[in-house]
Amino acid sequence: MTEYVIIGDGISGSSAAETLREEDPDSEITVITDEGEPLYNRILIKEHAKGKLPEAPISIHDEAWYEDRDITLSLDTHVTTVDTDEKVVRIHDGSDVSYDKLLIATGGTPTQLPVPGSDAEGVLHFWTFQDARRIKEYAEEAEQAAIVGAGLLGIDFAAVCGAQGVEGNYLMRGDRWWRYALSSEGAEIMHQGMRDVGVEPVFDSGLDHFETDDDGQVTAAVDPNGERYPCDFAGVAIGLTFNTEFLHDVDLEMDNGIVVDQYMQTNLEDVYAAGDLTRFYDVLLGEHAQNGSWGSAKEQGRIAGTNMAADGETEGFEWVSSYSITHFDFPFLSFGHPTLGDDHAERKYSDTEWRRIAFKDGKIVGGVLIGDLAPQSKFKQLMREGRVVADQKEVLLAETVDLDDLAPAQEQ
Amino acid sequence: MSSSSTVGRTVTLRRTETVRSPPRVRHVDELSEDALARFYDLVTSGGGSAVTDLTGFVDGEIIVFTDYYRVSLE
Repeated sequence: MTEYVIIGDGISGSSAAETLREEDPDSEITVITDEGEPLYNRILIKEHAKGKLPEAPISIHDEAWYEDRDITLSLDTHVTTVDTDEKVVRIHDGSDVSYDKLLIATGGTPTQLPVPGSDAEGVLHFWTFQDARRIKEYAEEAEQAAIVGAGLLGIDFAAVCGAQGVEGNYLMRGDRWWRYALSSEGAEIMHQGMRDVGVEPVFDSGLDHFETDDDGQVTAAVDPNGERYPCDFAGVAIGLTFNTEFLHDVDLEMDNGIVVDQYMQTNLEDVYAAGDLTRFYDVLLGEHAQNGSWGSAKEQGRIAGTNMAADGETEGFEWVSSYSITHFDFPFLSFGHPTLGDDHAERKYSDTEWRRIAFKDGKIVGGVLIGDLAPQSKFKQLMREGRVVADQKEVLLAETVDLDDLAPAQEQ
Repeated sequence: MSSSSTVGRTVTLRRTETVRSPPRVRHVDELSEDALARFYDLVTSGGGSAVTDLTGFVDGEIIVFTDYYRVSLE
């Protein structure tokens, strides 16, 4: 009987556990997590913090889900290290859990700002369900907030402020939100969305330090220009630090994440990784890449489980990811790798519609759609086909994209 | 309200402000690529009918997009 151990009960770990049980009914499966509750919907916790969604529908699995599948779930359990020679996972209470095959799916933890006051009460990060509950409590009482982190995670704080009637100042280091993927034209649509919900973007700003009161509660964010922004809480979302510290004695190949191939195999035999913390080989991109979307993590977990159960390279990870922002009156969708590539095309269609397509070697590798999501499936199809289309930007930027207008595909 | 017909069945999306213990709530990022395309067609078509494949939708669920939409398969 094969013993599988999965560290992490996020969507990738849970997806792997479900797959393993289906593929290997007689195996022993153990899921270890340092969180105190089973799998919940990480995409929807922002809706809870906004005050729009109760807790119940956010939980995905209860403990009975694991019992019904004969999966051992260890909550509140910290892994201290892994001995890949002995094939055991060492636990904080001194016990060991042996494995035949191991999956590391521990995800990340929000990165702390290295500035004075960053550990003050009311300086909040947004990653777990517990974080969301705390943010909701603060936002319901707050009048003002400061937000730091001009990326996909930071904008959730802006949405919480808008939904909870909190005046927000969104401090950004550069001249626009998500400057790695959006031009000024595209970003301005997002800025207006923020303003419309009562959050003011502040450019060429950032954070120098937080001020606190005598009780250690944050009272203001001060930017490097010396501007002071009073706040009842501050939302910080400057990125993730991957939870790999327990692997410091393990000879895993790392490159700002755990390096895996398209089968989710690490460089160590019988050790796999899945989810946010992987730097996976992207067969569509032709190089290693990272992705933090829910769908990507779920699929990586399924692929890892499939190959672990098969003890082989049965199925590779081939996925075009999507990440949506649905906080404003207009939708936003990022797909693939919009910040990569060697060429791009973009166009603005209206005050709420904009499109950017990123190319590498003439092929679409990602993009951003604001306002009109209709072309998403066509662009994803072209990505999967690996079709060279960068020389036909006018077709791709047409308001209504018709793939029949593309010149016939050439032999690659 | 947006609706679509297939063989004997209609899918309807209704905007909803309240969420009280629904059987399931999903974000659009959880839909398959095809289901997202069908959902988006329905949302943007208003009262028109553009979808012929209901795969990927569950009766009674709420889908979180720029608004919350309750799915009815009737």
